[in-house]
Amino acid sequence: MAATAPRQQGTLGSARLREALVGYAFIAVPMGIFLTFFIYPLVYSLYISRYDWGVFGKIETLGWENYREMWHDEIFWRSIKNTLLYTVVVVPVEMALALSLAVIVNAGIRGKSFFRSSFYFPSLASSAAITAIAIYILSADGLLNAVVGGQRSWFGDSDTALWSIAGLNAWTTSGTMMLFYLAALQAIPTDVYEAAAMDGAKTWRTFSRITFPLLKPGHFFVSVVAVIGALQVFDQAFIVSNGSGGPNYSTLTAVLYLYRTAIADVRFGYAATIGIALFLLIFTLTLIQRLLFGKAETA
Amino acid sequence: MAIDVARIDQVDRSIPARTPGERARRVITYAILLAVSALFFVPFVWTISTSLKSLPETTGFDLLPDNPSLRAYREVLTEFDFLRYAANSLFLAVTITLANLILCSIGGYAFARLRFPGREVLFMLVLATLMIPDQLRLVPVFVMLSGWGLVGSFKGYMLIKLVLATNLFFMRQYFLTIPRDFEEAAKLDNAGHFKTFWKVMLPLTGPALAAITILTFQGIWNEFFWPLLLLGFGDPSHYTVQLGIAQFRFQYQTLWPQLMAASVIAIVPIVVIFLFFQRYFVAGVVASGVKG
Repeated sequence: MAATAPRQQGTLGSARLREALVGYAFIAVPMGIFLTFFIYPLVYSLYISRYDWGVFGKIETLGWENYREMWHDEIFWRSIKNTLLYTVVVVPVEMALALSLAVIVNAGIRGKSFFRSSFYFPSLASSAAITAIAIYILSADGLLNAVVGGQRSWFGDSDTALWSIAGLNAWTTSGTMMLFYLAALQAIPTDVYEAAAMDGAKTWRTFSRITFPLLKPGHFFVSVVAVIGALQVFDQAFIVSNGSGGPNYSTLTAVLYLYRTAIADVRFGYAATIGIALFLLIFTLTLIQRLLFGKAETA
Repeated sequence: MAIDVARIDQVDRSIPARTPGERARRVITYAILLAVSALFFVPFVWTISTSLKSLPETTGFDLLPDNPSLRAYREVLTEFDFLRYAANSLFLAVTITLANLILCSIGGYAFARLRFPGREVLFMLVLATLMIPDQLRLVPVFVMLSGWGLVGSFKGYMLIKLVLATNLFFMRQYFLTIPRDFEEAAKLDNAGHFKTFWKVMLPLTGPALAAITILTFQGIWNEFFWPLLLLGFGDPSHYTVQLGIAQFRFQYQTLWPQLMAASVIAIVPIVVIFLFFQRYFVAGVVASGVKG
């Protein structure tokens, strides 16, 4: 990767050795952390998943029993269904919103940094604080009902709870996604637009025929980030349902079910199994996206 | 690295004098823009307004409180212990950010500049950790830390956040952009590797360090998942602000002014940092990709 720097003769061997030793010393702590808390857990998780594992460790060897149980666990499948439905809804909304905001901010308008900051603003707030605010605004006698009418508790009704979380997250993440799209928009060469202007192309036509297709790497990157984020949705579901995933399992996302299995039920073996399944799901969907977008380079 | 859109504007400016229709369109555009940005701010304005109200007043929908008071803030900070939670969050965010600054700059320098066998493989390993979702790590990391007696103390949480792969990656990329001439001069002076790093290279990485500081501080201050797992049991004296909010909401359901005051307390520090260091936010978010 890096070119070799010219070196003095003679002491070459020992200097090289010293450089290598210094190099290892400089990365020792980070590598130790990564091996212990990232790489090793991959293997350890597989190991735990083959046991009935409680608060004090192994209880009993189960072999593949946890996997069999998961396959027949209706609540698990309900949580996967919730998560996938949520993802299918929230990702396109996030992307459309983010792209619109990016195009607006990127157009020749005055005060674009003001608008950029306003749109990014919700991305700054913590998930807990913003969820608390959403609970208040979407409560039965909250601000939203005062505007649209009705008495619905949006997070308390199993028909709307998950979609309310989707709306909340589409809003809070759009700012970050907007920044990714802005970077992608900026990467489009200016002469492309000059040529379009010369041809007398209209704004919408320029956008749909030129900008949108040229944003392919941007779409890929944003969609990967959005899908991974959506499949891992947890904080908001946890807070609105007091950690239960209710009402009636409507906000039970896959990660929330994983959390409940591990922490509330203290079934670490089974929870590890769910974690592995979730990892495979995320991994597969990311691969599929990569295939769909062809060889679009990541941003 | 800041987003520079000036180039694209030039296309716009090259279009000759505007027609009345075009001017009308501009006015409408700005009206829509202002409306949209208002939509982004309304919930926050409403939050602040509610935090200044008394509980009975929250049944109405007046934007301005009749008798604005800081009572909710006082109660939240003292009776409901948010002063301690904020101190905990601050402590964790500051120490973890410092650890990342030190370890990731040293490590990033080694990966960018020092030659040692296995460097590329080890760096690939660092990148690979970015693809391992937290959910897969939940059980094994929790089991390990609880085995070591580190669940329910700050140590366990700090340990797993000591070095973040995105930060290490970011620093390494930044060191790669620095021309080699700087170190060659140091080499002629026979300076050691650490001295070269410390005296010559590190002072050149200001913007990268700033971006890491801001994003790490924000990430740790705002984080919910791992603090919930590792600090969310038993002793509330180890809660962070975010855990405090979740707990408060469970226990006191509709004490809206206090809940909104707690939310303001959770948001304000990050907003203040954002207002001062906006450009680093933008550069950092774009460069590090999957943050937050």
